[in-house]
Amino acid sequence: MPLVGNLLNWRHARTLLQIPLFVISVAMVLHGLFGPTLAPKNLATTLTWVHFRGALVFVLLFAGNFFCLACPFMFVRNLARKFFRPTRNWPRQLRNKWLSIALLVAMLFLYEWLDLWASPWWTAVLIIAYFAGALLIDAVFKHATFCKFICPIGQFNFVASTVSPLEVAVRDHDVCTRCATKDCIRGVREPAAPLVVIQRGCELALFQPRKVGNVDCTFCLDCVQACPHDNVGIISRLPASELMNDVMRSGVGFLSRRKDLAALAVVFAFGALLNVFGMVSPVYALEQFLATRFGVRSELPVLAFVFAFVLVCEPLLLIGVAAWITRVWSGSKRPLISLAVRYSYSLAPLGFGIWLAHFGFHFLTGFYTFIPVTQAAVADLGWAILGQPRWGLLGFAPNVVQLLEFGFITLGLIGSLLVSYSIAATEEVVHSERAFIPWAVLSLLIAVAAFWLMLQPMEMRGVVLGSG
Amino acid sequence: MLSRRSSLVALCVWLALAQGCRHQNESLSDLTLAHEVSPHPPRVGPVTITLRLTDTAGRHVDGARVTLEANMSHAGMAPVFADAPETEPGRYQSSMELTMAGDWFIMVHVNLADGRKLDRQFEIKGVGEKLAADFHR
Repeated sequence: MPLVGNLLNWRHARTLLQIPLFVISVAMVLHGLFGPTLAPKNLATTLTWVHFRGALVFVLLFAGNFFCLACPFMFVRNLARKFFRPTRNWPRQLRNKWLSIALLVAMLFLYEWLDLWASPWWTAVLIIAYFAGALLIDAVFKHATFCKFICPIGQFNFVASTVSPLEVAVRDHDVCTRCATKDCIRGVREPAAPLVVIQRGCELALFQPRKVGNVDCTFCLDCVQACPHDNVGIISRLPASELMNDVMRSGVGFLSRRKDLAALAVVFAFGALLNVFGMVSPVYALEQFLATRFGVRSELPVLAFVFAFVLVCEPLLLIGVAAWITRVWSGSKRPLISLAVRYSYSLAPLGFGIWLAHFGFHFLTGFYTFIPVTQAAVADLGWAILGQPRWGLLGFAPNVVQLLEFGFITLGLIGSLLVSYSIAATEEVVHSERAFIPWAVLSLLIAVAAFWLMLQPMEMRGVVLGSG
Repeated sequence: MLSRRSSLVALCVWLALAQGCRHQNESLSDLTLAHEVSPHPPRVGPVTITLRLTDTAGRHVDGARVTLEANMSHAGMAPVFADAPETEPGRYQSSMELTMAGDWFIMVHVNLADGRKLDRQFEIKGVGEKLAADFHR
């Protein structure tokens, strides 16, 4: 692509994109710590929970994992690595997604428990914790350890980008076959001083000729810039097609053998429902009911129960039953767990549709709210250059956006049905439709739950019970 | 380039000025703003907010221009603006439409007759959904 292609090929393209986001992050942290305590008046809460989340999912929908490309945490980390070099490898036992899944769940939990959406201060602390985490981990451990094994936002992006229309990929595999240097993964080093890296190769261990899909790809473009043959680029593809194939993937392995990745896809899908449930009226009635049943007055145990039920018990039950029916009814020879793992990935498109509906709603209905918040923030510094804050500015009409919500969920459902059908069609069974139907029913159930949630009245409360 | 001592002096002057500004605002803390919200418990829909502005001697503070701004606790939600005209000396009343269930923060902007300004904020927690009966009115 002209201009854009040349820009992305430039070795400092990533830095160029990271700098503005870093500056904005600093402004958000400062405003979160020292600015107005009311969330709609503060840059930290407005930009994080309205604009960042919304822009993230729309960029994933229409392009790919470009937010990881422009990640401000990596900007700081790259600066720091000019002064000190990590020497350790991430422990082998932790080279999986389990820790990052726990952190993703923790983040979703903290969001509800501490009402991060209502707290500029806690939002700022979260951003600082991210910077600190990225710096600390990547100061000690080599490569992109934070991105691949830790960052909750990154894991979210990896799953979501499986339905993105763009992918970093090889243009011509024959060129790779003839390549002797494999710079895309080894990087480019100074000939006279081999320890000096001129251009990094892939820090996430994705060897381009054998890379499949967007899982674990941060779109850092190191491979694009390292390739001496200009043979790596951002290529268009059929969204979610990578979920239909179970081939060996560089840096990832076989999806069907990655229980951790499957669990991440499940948390991604069911977490989408949970995150929406947390802001509709029925959740408060449920919390009161559970508190009465358990004899507690604090939100923490009630919330823990809800999380455990929705993210562990419910998926185990539903996916377990679907896998069992598939095995019994279709005559599949796969073990039960293998079936559950393989088909779990089919939930990713629907999960993304629900996240898109939720984050997209706040983004579109509050689209212009960053303007008065920025005006007020600048005015508080004594510079009245942006005029009086126009607090009445909002975004698109909620009733119009709600139609889009339903559209996103429907698209996600169609994606999940196509993926599960494609997986079933490649299974070695006599009746592939019998392998498909249980997963289609599961996707339909989740979609119906999502539609029901979107129809519930929104209710944003601080705490119903105590927050202890 | 400023010496370290000059920078410290400048910082102290800035802090003193900032304190002075805050004291000006704090001098308005001798005014009391009491509020009532009706109906109780509050529900989605119209609410009446009654404000009483008095000084430390308990005398009504009248002639002020009072405006209200209601925001939810989540960013990106529609704020609601309303005037609160004086209905009796020192008593200001407004009718606002709370558009969503949840917690609301009411910011009260007061322009006193003597030109001073006062800002206060209070919460309306747990605004409930409309009752079924309300839909049949």
